[in-house]
Amino acid sequence: MSIYIVQLLTGVAYGMLYFMIAAGLTIILGVMNVVNLAHGAFFLLGTYFAFTFMSLHLNFWLALLLAVIVTAILGIIIEKLLINKLYGKELEQVLLTFGLTFVIADCAKWIWGTEMQTIAVPELLNSSITIGEMVFPAYRLFVVLVGCILAVILWYLESRTRVGAIIRAGVDDRAMVAALGINVRLVFTGVFAFGAGLAGLSGVLGGPLIGMYTGMDSDILVTSLIVVVIGGLGSWKGSFVGAILIGLIETLGKIWFPSLSMLIVFLLMVVVLMIRPQGLYGKVVSQ
Amino acid sequence: MKNNLFIILILIISVSGLPFLLSGFGVDLATEIYIMAIFAMSLGLLMGFAGMVSLGHAAFFAIGAYTVAILGQFINNVYILILSAIIIAGLIALLTGSLFIRTSNFYFLMITLAFGQLLYALAWQLENWTGGADGMRVSATLDFGFGEIASPLAIYYLMGIAFIFVYILLKLFVNSPAGRIIKGIMENPSRMAALGYEVRVYKLLVYSLAGALAGFAGSLYGYFNMFVSPDLTYWKFSGEVMIMVIFGGVGTLIGPVLGAGLFIILQNFISSYTERWQLILGAILVLLVLVGKGGIIHWFGYFKEKFIIRKGTKNVETSKPIEEEREVIT
Repeated sequence: MSIYIVQLLTGVAYGMLYFMIAAGLTIILGVMNVVNLAHGAFFLLGTYFAFTFMSLHLNFWLALLLAVIVTAILGIIIEKLLINKLYGKELEQVLLTFGLTFVIADCAKWIWGTEMQTIAVPELLNSSITIGEMVFPAYRLFVVLVGCILAVILWYLESRTRVGAIIRAGVDDRAMVAALGINVRLVFTGVFAFGAGLAGLSGVLGGPLIGMYTGMDSDILVTSLIVVVIGGLGSWKGSFVGAILIGLIETLGKIWFPSLSMLIVFLLMVVVLMIRPQGLYGKVVSQ
Repeated sequence: MKNNLFIILILIISVSGLPFLLSGFGVDLATEIYIMAIFAMSLGLLMGFAGMVSLGHAAFFAIGAYTVAILGQFINNVYILILSAIIIAGLIALLTGSLFIRTSNFYFLMITLAFGQLLYALAWQLENWTGGADGMRVSATLDFGFGEIASPLAIYYLMGIAFIFVYILLKLFVNSPAGRIIKGIMENPSRMAALGYEVRVYKLLVYSLAGALAGFAGSLYGYFNMFVSPDLTYWKFSGEVMIMVIFGGVGTLIGPVLGAGLFIILQNFISSYTERWQLILGAILVLLVLVGKGGIIHWFGYFKEKFIIRKGTKNVETSKPIEEEREVIT
């Protein structure tokens, strides 16, 4: 029994990583109406940046901070330079982000090689907490904690601040927000950079858990897309619930049906879609 | 119609004449292009005539290829194998499509992507059947009842004929009443629904048809390549086919064909110089999208338009459909 409780923690920790990346994805989709297919690439870049910073003898926390900032800045550059140029043409923007996944993934291969690497768990958290006969790695607890704090921050931002109000309004009716004199392009840039930064954060935190390998950007992208579909468009809450669900199912699925874990995740998505096509917390958008 | 016959004639002439101009490697490349052209046309049908942008279309291609590989171990009959590839891919498209088409726009894109990746994971994990990451050899032989087709040239002509056959079939389909209804649904679903058409049924029809065709292309690929691997259903492969369609021109049938041809030639050409093909491919896509002038077939349209305007002929009508076709991706 105790093994399952420890595995539950692992599942939730993975879920938190999915939540961080899916939160950005869902909000970009909600506000900009763009499926950012390069989101997995931001995750990958976050990990690799942190890896590079750490190999320059920076400690984990500084590397984390820098990697997130650099990824977010890259997000700003990509949004300003490329995506913004196709303002209003959503399908083209999606295609553009798709082209970027090729470019970024191949550049990463070029710069960092194809060897599988990991980021070391920071000293501070390189221990475990024992309760009875159960051993919980401290780092996983930490990831869960960060995820929960982030969820609270996002909730606060969304419901208590002006920025959150603008973003909520943007999800509901983009044209109206623009008509009210809000600089929509600035909002887009901000949202995109924020999402990129979150994906970077998820990548760095995931480094010690998932490691880094070629193709991880695709794996994580697909999982987070499923989280977005399950959780509902533009909903942080949906991403939170969906991500934890997926994290748990994936981890437990790997124990019980090692060869079919992906199938179970997919079936969950199918069931959700059949019952609620707009996702768990999504609003019905007429389109 | 005259125009269509003209294109078909050109296709027939080039398919039959090309081997005289090409080296052995060129013939192989052209064979691959015909197969990919069938695949690209199936996605082009979905994207350009039904407005359904799928990022998991390779799933059906892989289903076709794996059908030939897996069933081919037990039954070595080309008719049964190709037919079952088409039917299985079509049925799975029908089944999954009935669910997927309930969603619109980007949800559809995300879900088809996830479906493709699901098959990718399954192809990896069900090692006993699929050979896992190593893939599997295709043991079935290409024998239509009059001796095995083994020479590259014979395979070339077979794929060429299949390609022209599919082109004509699709041309007839998009010009049929059903094809026009589907295009109408793409342009204005609510109006078509108000006119009494079952929007979902037609969307499902075109999705299943595209799936079955991709399965057909996949089965041919299985015979051609003699080897299948999970990469056939990887989402980046779906994306590559989508790039072929966009490259050539969305909203036409001949566009994806040109796109497939150019893509494969470029891929072979660039890969022989550098390993960074993916980088260049991505950059090409980004550029193409940024420039926003549509695909190759639309560039022809632009030249034609300019030419006609300069000559001052009355024909403004001809430039109209091209404009409309561009709308598809906007």
